[in-house]
Amino acid sequence: MPFIKRTATTPPKSKEDHGISAPETSGLQNPDPEVRWSTARTLGGVASAVPALAAALEKERTPRVREALMTALMRTGNNDSVLVLIPYLRSQDAGLRVAAIEALQALPEAIMPFMTQLLSDNDSDVRILATELARNMPAKEATRVLCNLLETESHSNVCGAAIEVLAEVGTRDALPTLKTCAERFSNIPFLSFAVATTIARIAGTES
Amino acid sequence: MAPPDGPESGAIHITQEDVRRLCEFLYRRTGMSFDDNKRYYIDRRVVERIAVTGSLSFQSYFALLRSDTEHEIEQLVNAFTVNETYFYREDHQLRCMTSHLLSDLLPRKQRGDSIRIWSIPCSTGEEPYSIALWLMENWREVDNHNIEIVASDIDTRALKAAAEGIYGARALMRLSSDVIDRYFARIEGGQVQIDPGLRESIQFTRANLIDAQDMARYRDFDIVFCRNVLIYFDDASRRAAAENLYDCLRPGGYICLGHSETMSRISPLFSVRRFPEAIVYQRPEAKHDES
Repeated sequence: MPFIKRTATTPPKSKEDHGISAPETSGLQNPDPEVRWSTARTLGGVASAVPALAAALEKERTPRVREALMTALMRTGNNDSVLVLIPYLRSQDAGLRVAAIEALQALPEAIMPFMTQLLSDNDSDVRILATELARNMPAKEATRVLCNLLETESHSNVCGAAIEVLAEVGTRDALPTLKTCAERFSNIPFLSFAVATTIARIAGTES
Repeated sequence: MAPPDGPESGAIHITQEDVRRLCEFLYRRTGMSFDDNKRYYIDRRVVERIAVTGSLSFQSYFALLRSDTEHEIEQLVNAFTVNETYFYREDHQLRCMTSHLLSDLLPRKQRGDSIRIWSIPCSTGEEPYSIALWLMENWREVDNHNIEIVASDIDTRALKAAAEGIYGARALMRLSSDVIDRYFARIEGGQVQIDPGLRESIQFTRANLIDAQDMARYRDFDIVFCRNVLIYFDDASRRAAAENLYDCLRPGGYICLGHSETMSRISPLFSVRRFPEAIVYQRPEAKHDES
């Protein structure tokens, strides 16, 4: 038979296998991306490492290491890691923006206290991205924050983004706000269409 | 629209809009996609899950699903997929391995290097034994190389069963009688036990996919079969698992996921490779890795 068996699963020695203790963050500054990557991967869920992860994320240019830093912050998932991730919603780097959105979406409870602030941000692009963060929140809470946005929002694209999220997560509580929104933007056909579709979804769900 | 038939359906009514909402959620969460012509198939399974969970309406069930209370996403996915394991399951990936992956990997190997293949999670062993059987039956070069097959699972009871290699007729349904005769011995109770040489040649170990320290014991694999497990993890765990798997592969190594899974939705670390038999994911070569 051509099959062979090693006596143990212990791999050939390499630097990432020496085991960096959880609070040891100096590897994040190492010039070797392999060391930065493996260090980041040991720090997921370590609350005391959040400042070091934040500092590393700011400087990191290797996409793979950035992913690992984001994952580590995501796995920690506390207020501090949310505060690190939020500024990347404004990043000029689309990859970083998307990574921040994905990481924050995975932390629906931790992001909740920041939603009002994000949804009233001066930058409409940030408000659009913030609507996506509501997608993984509990339906009642997501409906509340998105309806609050729709009641005052003047930017049609932001409203469109919020309506699209409501189509998935909205409850019947959103129906009056959606109708008012459609009236406010009656001159914008795509919003009227989006509202009609979303109302049908929500009403259909609860009929 | 009439409610779906079935003893569990009761008075629960699912509308077209409900189905669309559910399908969009499932696609975003798992990558599973259903056409409109699957409506009856979807309705039946959703109605069953509504009944089992004691939900009073589609709305309350959907809220339960979104919150993933009691791992309801896993339960619903199970209802949509064939969850039993058997020999040569998803054999298109095995065919892809012998038609393309191995011939792509071999030129990079030094003389004497072994080919390392990992089955995780291996459950009760059908997958790693299938890999071994497939290689022996379908790869001409099998005797020219040293091949290591490691099979891991988090469940030690499953590992024990895998190492024993005892199966019922249902697990063998995709195997020819010739293969069964050559590699299995009949034992009591209508069951069969796989060849002792094969049992001995596979290394069974316990491993936790999302534990980086645990996974650091596993390196330098050429091909990893990691099927039908990532779909059940939450986002953070899925990403952690993807990063762990990345480290376990040699540069240029391949990972095969289950038919309803896609790495592109989990992590950008891997390149998508489309072969005639299957879509698989590849750890980029080192020179392309740090762009």
